[in-house]
Amino acid sequence: MKIDVQGHSTFASTGGRAFDPKGDVILFIHGSGQNHLGFMLQHRFLANRGWQAITPDFPGHGKSEGDPIATIEEMAAWLASFMDAAGIEKAHIAGHSQGALVALEMAAKFSDKVRSATFIASALGIPVNDYLLGLAKDREPKAIKAMMDWGHGPTGHVHDHTMPGASHMHYGSQLMASNVPGALFTDLNACNEYTTGAETAAAITCPTLCILSGQDKMTPIKAGRKLHAALGGKLVEIPHAGHMSITEQPWDVTKPLRGFLESQRVEA
Amino acid sequence: MADYKFDTLSLHAGQSPDGRFGSRAVPIHQTTSYVFQDTEQAAALFNMEIGGHIYSRLTNPTVAVLEQRLAALDGGVAAVATASGMSALFVTVLALCSAGDHIVASSQMYGANINLFQHTMSRYGIETTFVSPRDPEAIRAAIRPNTKMVFGEVIGNPGMDIMDLPAVAAVTKEANVPLVVDATFNTPWMIKPIEHGANIVIHSLTKWMGGHGVALGGAVIDGGNFDWGATPGKFPTMTDAHFGYQGVNLWEEFGPMAFATRVRTEGMMNAGPCMAPQNAFYILQGIETLPLRMERHMSNTAKMLEFLTNHEQVSWVKHPALPEHPDHETALRLMPKGQGSIISMGVKGGRAAASAFIESVGLASHLANVGDAKTLVIHPGSTTHSHITAEAMEAAGLTDDLVRISVGLEDFDDIAADFSQALKAAGRVVPKVAAE
Repeated sequence: MKIDVQGHSTFASTGGRAFDPKGDVILFIHGSGQNHLGFMLQHRFLANRGWQAITPDFPGHGKSEGDPIATIEEMAAWLASFMDAAGIEKAHIAGHSQGALVALEMAAKFSDKVRSATFIASALGIPVNDYLLGLAKDREPKAIKAMMDWGHGPTGHVHDHTMPGASHMHYGSQLMASNVPGALFTDLNACNEYTTGAETAAAITCPTLCILSGQDKMTPIKAGRKLHAALGGKLVEIPHAGHMSITEQPWDVTKPLRGFLESQRVEA
Repeated sequence: MADYKFDTLSLHAGQSPDGRFGSRAVPIHQTTSYVFQDTEQAAALFNMEIGGHIYSRLTNPTVAVLEQRLAALDGGVAAVATASGMSALFVTVLALCSAGDHIVASSQMYGANINLFQHTMSRYGIETTFVSPRDPEAIRAAIRPNTKMVFGEVIGNPGMDIMDLPAVAAVTKEANVPLVVDATFNTPWMIKPIEHGANIVIHSLTKWMGGHGVALGGAVIDGGNFDWGATPGKFPTMTDAHFGYQGVNLWEEFGPMAFATRVRTEGMMNAGPCMAPQNAFYILQGIETLPLRMERHMSNTAKMLEFLTNHEQVSWVKHPALPEHPDHETALRLMPKGQGSIISMGVKGGRAAASAFIESVGLASHLANVGDAKTLVIHPGSTTHSHITAEAMEAAGLTDDLVRISVGLEDFDDIAADFSQALKAAGRVVPKVAAE
């Protein structure tokens, strides 16, 4: 669906189903240089299981208009505006990588809008090395190639997709190339400059789940465990997945996420 | 972890050794269907919410390894394997075109490709304009508002005309029409068309990819690099609600692999030209040695060109590696590792001499295939291209004396000896023809 957020047309995938903002909403938050398609299988599965799944494209990403947002804090504020525009009062949120940093901000600073928060392949902060930042700024295709390489574990590197016939690496490359030029650099720079994760995590009171990847080179599992230690809550580790666990081992992400969401529904 | 290179992907892409038995070779899943874990999993599979297999007309684990290997090698986001190269082209047209639509296609290509557009698709209201693949401006001029694809062979069969991919891709991109290419004669070892702007790649896997001549197969590879939504309403099969799958909008839900998903959920679902898992296994065995075979194809072709161009019984030789070929420079620019292993030659004495040559070869095989490990010969004008019109034949340069050679992997000295005696036999026909 398309809605207007802060004056720009914004696209949000609803998993192929009609969206009811009054239902049990699970809001997915995509990562750096990504868009709604990263969560393709998670939101399709949940949208067809009674959840109101919605994944917006941040401005300048996927099918959304506007300029990419410069900071994690501003992304969280934009997401709050998106929820208002979509008529969503309160949602379970799930972020991947940079999206998980945005989820930290959302859960801490817009706590009245968040029922639970899930953090996938993330940490309290995601420092980005100068080499990758430089590539993203000046040679974006090379940066995308590097991220595909570092972002995938063994399954991704042999192109052994759970969706028969598909290639993680090439699909991911085309997905990232479909964003506006410069979106990747803006995102990575926002991650790099975000340094308040520890304080923010300490302020979070909603139920949380961390889903970490054993082969993650972009947010190593040791950093992910520090995030979990700061948050408490539930923890799931996927041993053979790389950073792009949501596409590389999609069911290993969907299954614990669904279990967590269902448990919140029961408790509610 | 490294981003694996071509030779490594030829051996490993698409397969993780299976967790239960650890089989190193790709297992042949000779099964039509797959037991569901429960009703929820079945429903999720049927609605493309999770990955997995339902029924082998749609997907099969052995075939999926092949598809993923092809996507990896050609730089595609996804691939769909089919029963043959022709069915790959058919499901592509099915996914893109409807009655009232238009196609721009090369005038110089395999006879069955021409016939599909000229005689079959036209009966279903899909019109085709044929133009030279060597003329981007002619392609531009032929594109109409209802044109849904531009199609051609990267290397034309049998004339070895080379499509200047970047130049044609610039035209199709500007017109917002997908560029679909048949890459059978080049294989991704020689050139990856997607890297040069093609949007969809079609293969007959029966040829060089398999290389052994034991299994038929085809594939459609989705480059994932075409914006189906750029012109609203132009590609309704991608951007409107699907007739099945809860009305899914493929472009919104699957993005770069919307086209491959349409092929799977319509062409394979409703027409059903699926590849047998046994054939997928055979073709995978071939692909494992593709880089090694292609090197030998190229070196033997270079020797054959030298042999033929110096032979008194050969009136002309056509191959892009030769300086006199009109696409020589384009071929070297796009395919520096080699320009293919098909050679067209004219045998002095016309049709009778050509026939005598073909009937005299001993080591080489007279058959309707190319890209086999063994050397092959045929007279296209009376066989593979005999069903096209006289005009189309002339446009394709199919003269009476033309013999098509698919250079194999034998020791070249043995091929040369065989060709020497066969050309000598052809030479004996010439005085007889002159006398008549």
